[in-house]
Amino acid sequence: MPASAGGMGPHSHLAMTQRRKWTAIPGLLALAIGAVILSAYSGASSSQNAQPVQPINFPHPKHAGDSSQGGLGMSCLYCHNTANKSPDPGMPAVSTCMGCHLVVAAGRPEIQKLMKYYGGGHGKPIPWVRIHKVPEYVRFPHMRHVNVGVTCQTCHGQVQRMDRVYQYSSLNMGWCVKCHVNGYDPVEGQRATGYAMDTSRSVTPAAERKRARYDCANCHY
Amino acid sequence: MSEPTKLAGVKRREFLKVLGAGTAAGAAACSEPTGKLIPYLVSPDQTVPGVSTYYATLCRECSAGCGVIAETRDGRVIKLEGNPEHPLNRGALCARGQSAVQGLYNPDRFRTPMIKVGGSWRAATWDEAINLLAQRLGEVRGRGVAASAVFFNQHESGSFPAFLDEWLASNGMRPHLSVDFEADHGAIEAHRRTYGVSWPRWNFAEARLIISFGADFLDGWGATVPHQLDFAEARAKVTTAPRFIYVGPRRSLTGLNADQWIACKAGGELAIANFLQGRGDANAAAEAGGVQAATLQQLQQEYAGARPALVMASGRGENGLELALAAGALNHSRGGEAITSYDGIARQNDVLAAVERMRAGQVGAVFVRGPNPAYALPKSANFAEAFAKVPFKVSFSPYPDETTELCDLVLPDLHALESWGDAEPVRGTIALQQPAMDPVFGGTRSTADVLIAVSKKEAATAARYPQADYGAWLRARLPGGGNAQALSAALARGVMSGSVAARTATSSTSAAIPIPAGAASGDYFLVTYPSPVLGDGRGANKPWLQELPDPVTKVLWSSWVEIHPETASRLGIQRGDIIEVKTAVGSVRVPALVYLGIRPDTVAIALGQGHASPAQTTWFDGKDTAPQWGYGRYARGVGANALDLLSARLNSAGALIGTSRCSIEKTGDHETLVSTEGSARQHDRGIARAIDVNQIGQADDLAAHGTIPGAAKQEFLPGLRSPVAADAQGELGAPTAADRGTLLGMYDPKHPSRMAQRRWAMTVDLARCTGCSACVTACYAENNIPTVGAPWQNGVVYAVKKPGFNITRGREMNWLRLERYYEGAEDGRFTEDFEARFVPMLCQHCGNAPCEPVCPVYATYKAPDGLNVQVYNRCVGTRYCSNNCPYKVRYFNWFGYGESDRVQYAFPEPLNWQLNPDVTVRSKGVMEKCTFCVQRIREAENRAALEQRELVPDEFTVSCAAACPSRAIVFGDASDANWSVTKLIEDERAYHVFEELNTYTAVVYLKKVNHPSGAGAPGALR
Repeated sequence: MPASAGGMGPHSHLAMTQRRKWTAIPGLLALAIGAVILSAYSGASSSQNAQPVQPINFPHPKHAGDSSQGGLGMSCLYCHNTANKSPDPGMPAVSTCMGCHLVVAAGRPEIQKLMKYYGGGHGKPIPWVRIHKVPEYVRFPHMRHVNVGVTCQTCHGQVQRMDRVYQYSSLNMGWCVKCHVNGYDPVEGQRATGYAMDTSRSVTPAAERKRARYDCANCHY
Repeated sequence: MSEPTKLAGVKRREFLKVLGAGTAAGAAACSEPTGKLIPYLVSPDQTVPGVSTYYATLCRECSAGCGVIAETRDGRVIKLEGNPEHPLNRGALCARGQSAVQGLYNPDRFRTPMIKVGGSWRAATWDEAINLLAQRLGEVRGRGVAASAVFFNQHESGSFPAFLDEWLASNGMRPHLSVDFEADHGAIEAHRRTYGVSWPRWNFAEARLIISFGADFLDGWGATVPHQLDFAEARAKVTTAPRFIYVGPRRSLTGLNADQWIACKAGGELAIANFLQGRGDANAAAEAGGVQAATLQQLQQEYAGARPALVMASGRGENGLELALAAGALNHSRGGEAITSYDGIARQNDVLAAVERMRAGQVGAVFVRGPNPAYALPKSANFAEAFAKVPFKVSFSPYPDETTELCDLVLPDLHALESWGDAEPVRGTIALQQPAMDPVFGGTRSTADVLIAVSKKEAATAARYPQADYGAWLRARLPGGGNAQALSAALARGVMSGSVAARTATSSTSAAIPIPAGAASGDYFLVTYPSPVLGDGRGANKPWLQELPDPVTKVLWSSWVEIHPETASRLGIQRGDIIEVKTAVGSVRVPALVYLGIRPDTVAIALGQGHASPAQTTWFDGKDTAPQWGYGRYARGVGANALDLLSARLNSAGALIGTSRCSIEKTGDHETLVSTEGSARQHDRGIARAIDVNQIGQADDLAAHGTIPGAAKQEFLPGLRSPVAADAQGELGAPTAADRGTLLGMYDPKHPSRMAQRRWAMTVDLARCTGCSACVTACYAENNIPTVGAPWQNGVVYAVKKPGFNITRGREMNWLRLERYYEGAEDGRFTEDFEARFVPMLCQHCGNAPCEPVCPVYATYKAPDGLNVQVYNRCVGTRYCSNNCPYKVRYFNWFGYGESDRVQYAFPEPLNWQLNPDVTVRSKGVMEKCTFCVQRIREAENRAALEQRELVPDEFTVSCAAACPSRAIVFGDASDANWSVTKLIEDERAYHVFEELNTYTAVVYLKKVNHPSGAGAPGALR
């Protein structure tokens, strides 16, 4: 904006003041935008705690929950059966569900929904709403984690107690790197599961823990 | 704090738009969109999501029939590599073979059958289409003209030709014509007469001298990959390697690999070959060939002194048959199983005779499966006019090519990667073709299955085909018949021993056909040649191949005419001037390329471009959903078709002649030739180095090789003679370093991750490298590299909309480029004595990388295992790194090539099915470069960890090395002596490019080896 506009004449200090005043507003705006960007890209705005409604109200507690609490105590790997051999943990095929539910609880409304999807093997897969997702520029190999004893609950929370699954961890990079740098102890992981555990083992002191790679190109390529 | 770039989902630009609009929805717009998780309905056996499954199958991109391993991920083919078990390609694969996936996922494939009604096309159902076919077939039979029908099938070996003949016979038709427009029919005929086989196995290994009379065995003359494997293996013997002399008017890629070029006139080769046989004297031969008599005498001496000599010749010239026969008489180096890929191929006079019968109105129906005669026959053959006289024309082509556009019915075939088949590349070995995935488009069907379905509609023929489909028919016919166990074992390897029952009949009917007068007018010889990249034109619809620079000229997305600098300066022609090339039968307008490797009295044009459609004359606009006639969006309107210049003349082998006389005229127009080449000269930079064979083992060279300027005093971490990490001074490796163990982190070799114990490195042996550029396409395929040259991809930003325009602006993305430099012939005068050197140039993964310290956001750095890493999500696109890179191997995403909502999108559905899920698709504003296939390193490490073992030396390699048909590229861990790369680094020919910059590169080149003639003098000049 021209400094002399509005009849300020040759008084340069006035013009300067005027200019400062006017530049202050974009400055504040920039700050506001910066703040929004920061909040948008910080952990605060991750989809942590997101708890979408699923097409079938699948009760994890019933399947994976401890038998003392009325669950069947199924292993996570029964359904997510590639979590220990592939980067992709695997979602159970609808036929896996039907392996039991052709018979078991076949009359329940949610199972009726399941049967409708299955359609005798000619239906369509269940469009589960995805909860956990890392960005496309991140490679996360499940099997490397599962096979060194990182329990599922460490990252996903005690899914066996969630009536409806939600995102337990932030999945932000700082959250990942914390373990990679400081090391992870399987005993701690056991504790995180919430299952009854062997108490004889003690947690490895932080200095002696096996630490993982935290090099950028370990996950970003 | 750096702002992470969202590579998918909410785009940064959209995000900022939201902010700019002043809404408060910023935070909400930013959470990671999650989408759906779709499981299988019924899980297929063997499939582990996220882990590749591999199927051995066949490549059908040319007639050779190489074996490929198709890598599939979650049911989609994502990559092809050579099958190590296959007798021809032995694990290697050329650029064309790798691009087969872009044929599979070509966006211009037909989705359904098409019927032409009243001159316009409409989609049809299969029932409709098959009924129409059966009905029209019935009419043809009813009129008693079935025997006149013609079936053109793309030439292939294996069982399908016999199946097809049986089917045709059951309908009263004659055997089909097995057509291949790029095969050298003159040479095949001569091979049959000389050797009794259609293609012998040349014995490069034992040869002491190789003489090629225009036989471009590295450019697609015959089965290129086995030629190249054997040639490179022979040349890698260094001190005992054969010398190679190329005789011909133009130095092709093969010619540039020769130690000596004898630039004879087109058609003059025969006189030279005869002279070598002792017929005629040197002066007469020199006169006829347009070369120096002294050169020929020297050649004769050399030939006489070198036993055995391997002599090959092209049969495409006027006297092609005579020349190829003479070469056969001169050759004494042949051995091993003959290549049977060309057995049963139709002679070209038979093809032309069929066209003449169509013109005479004697043909009741024509079927075309694969070949594209409307494009690939010389225009003067007037194919379209003859074809129009046929009442019923069916195409089985998956692509909207020129011939298909002239047909009445399209029954789109499956791609080879979706269907059953076999081939017999050498006698006694059957190579199996199995579907590597379900059809991409549900509306396509295997031609063999369609033929079976038609037969089943009629009681008379139904009984012939009790099997459900062709796959069942084929499996029952293979040796061992119904033995499922043996078959599945063979399918896992891709090959089985045994022979398929060959075709019993071939369709050789030709009486003499009228040959247009061979009007030999014009001051210049015109040489046409099948492009080493696009072949006879069938590669033109694949963006990888359009974007692959021609190995000789480095031109892409274009046609060009090669003119010698002397001729060019005489006529005032500059590179890029539009030249009108005229012959007696036609003319084309193409930009000039001034090329050292052609005689001043000769011009040359590559075949393969110039696809066109009468119905669609503009370039694809990026949106149109109608069929893209003219061979699809990537081919139509690119370059010119040199076949417009040729008359349909046959030589005495019945092969179409690829040469002519022509005149050239400057038009006054000019265009920037699309090329990736910066300079054809090294300007003393020592990028591509060579050594004469008699210098090998000389002490002074060893001394030079052993010193590194500015070598650090301390001991380095293991690997190469160069440091790891930011360790140019060797401090990290020094055991006395004060902060060792506390600040080193993963750079400490004792860190539990043990990442710093490896030093990934590569060697490139320039004595092996032929410049074929298979590695370049392998890199595109593995690393999701976008192609940027399609006309519509640049129409938004620049007003100019033409093929390759982005590349003329330097926007190409080839992580690995093949540089070609000339040595000698610098004054522009004609000389036969110049040398070409090829250098694959990729990120050198410097130990002391100039790109790293200039990055303001630390997006590029040295990883502990020796990789120079580019972190896409850190990169903010300052491009300082590219500016500071002495090798110029970093590429910037100027446009949103990876973003499907932009017109620059490089992977239109379903090309995006090919994308490697292990590699990020980069977004706009991000720098990228060779990663040493870090995804393969991680995958191998993950696999080893899963199996609780260490990496086995040489257990995996990078994509370029896997493809390389010269075996020039070796990758591995240079800190472990058990990897092959470590031994090669110690070779006396090893050098680093720009060693004087202290970059401590991890890519080590081995000098090219030159073999000067025995006298030590270079080839004599004209």
